[in-house]
Amino acid sequence: MNEQLSALIDNEIALADAAHLLAAAQSNKHLADAWGHYHLIGDAMRGTPAFSADFQQNLMQKIELEATVLSPNAQSNRTEAPAAVRTKLPPSWSIAASMAAVMIVGWVAVQQQPMIDAGMKVAALQPIATQPVTEQTTVASLKESIPTEYLMAHQASAPSLSSYYIQTVNYAE
Amino acid sequence: MKRFVLACLLASSCQGVVQAATLNLQAAADDGIWQALQKAAVAARALSYQGIFVCQSGQQSKSVQITHFFNGQGEYARNIVLDGTPREVFSQNNDLVIFSPKNKKIVVEKRRGQNMFPAILPTNLDAIKENYTLRPAEPERVAGRMTQVLVLEPKDTLRYSYRFWIDNEYGLLLKSVMFNSRNEAMESIGFSELALLTKVDLDWFKPKIDSNKSYVIEEDAAITIAENATNIEWSIKDLPTGYRKIDQMRRVVHGKPLPVTHLIFSDGLATVSLFIEPIAKNVKPKIIHSMVGNTSFYTNTADGYQVTAVGEVPEATVAQIAHAVSFKKP
Repeated sequence: MNEQLSALIDNEIALADAAHLLAAAQSNKHLADAWGHYHLIGDAMRGTPAFSADFQQNLMQKIELEATVLSPNAQSNRTEAPAAVRTKLPPSWSIAASMAAVMIVGWVAVQQQPMIDAGMKVAALQPIATQPVTEQTTVASLKESIPTEYLMAHQASAPSLSSYYIQTVNYAE
Repeated sequence: MKRFVLACLLASSCQGVVQAATLNLQAAADDGIWQALQKAAVAARALSYQGIFVCQSGQQSKSVQITHFFNGQGEYARNIVLDGTPREVFSQNNDLVIFSPKNKKIVVEKRRGQNMFPAILPTNLDAIKENYTLRPAEPERVAGRMTQVLVLEPKDTLRYSYRFWIDNEYGLLLKSVMFNSRNEAMESIGFSELALLTKVDLDWFKPKIDSNKSYVIEEDAAITIAENATNIEWSIKDLPTGYRKIDQMRRVVHGKPLPVTHLIFSDGLATVSLFIEPIAKNVKPKIIHSMVGNTSFYTNTADGYQVTAVGEVPEATVAQIAHAVSFKKP
């Protein structure tokens, strides 16, 4: 079951085929914890800190700003966690954080289908470029919204004062 | 030797200020504080010192031990990050090498150093004078030493403000804090202890080698473009006030099939990177605007190009710099 959860997170199982996994994760505490852990590990490897209080609001803002992706293949470029990392779960992960992750990810999973449908209709009606650019707040949890490759290139040639000592991005291996 | 000549020049222009003071007290006071800033820029490079400073950005904070040595010909510095991952940063004049442990490897990164604390100010302050005003604040004590406090405020909303603490005795910058328009501290870096170096050896100027780890050199894959190179596809017009192009290169960006043009703009203190790359013509136009920590990000796809601006500046500045690119229709 854990392996299936992990595969789901890595987009190896279609969301539509995973309804039973999400249901099981809701009723079984071990599975729920594992689900949270996998996400935390993935986030840690991508350099994203634990979710902050307004993560959900920011995520929805970001989804609104993104163009709708109509190609199913384009979504499968996530970083894959090595199997060794997946099997070793540090006991010190915060339960609260992992439960929050379960709730948010579960909620996103439920919302995703209607959102894509709605997004397609919007995309058909108006070009994305005419959407107003909303002012976003300074939140570290949206770190992935600045593509790492540009941040690295920027810091290599025009480093900020703290970038010599504080790494804001994870290096590509 | 150049530094000493510069110091002499500074001293003589100080005397000039004293004479001018009888004519115009206000202008002299202004000149005096700008001289203090100029002296701080030189002192950071021309003094030999050792200390520990704390660097804070967002929710992260690191203590760093710095040893800086100037022998009259060249500058040598070692920065050891004391908290978390034991990074070591070595610099000799403008060449910089960073050793950062990563898993079982140690990544050796080479960079061109330009603004490492406390040498964060350029020795030529002309660009800064154009874009910022400087005023004195009440003296404060930092790292056990009395300092003169100077506040550098932007003349418009396209950049952040700074507060500098400058050692009364050494003229060295002891602390610098960057503030946004709401006067919230965004980045802070300051000594907690400092002493001038008395010994003159360079035994400390070598990395701590871990024989159990393999060292991997990560070269920066950027090729500088000649200043006079003309570009037929695009041009830069109407940059935000005070920002000038200081560098241009072509670099390989991870995950991009073709090299990307990378331009760097600066107002003397803040820097912005601009990336220009061709993309498929049929990609839908899209704008992404965001801010993470101190870094603003703006990307715009149109006319078969993607233009991306990244920098530690207000969001309006990255947007304006991205919009300064105009494409010539074929």
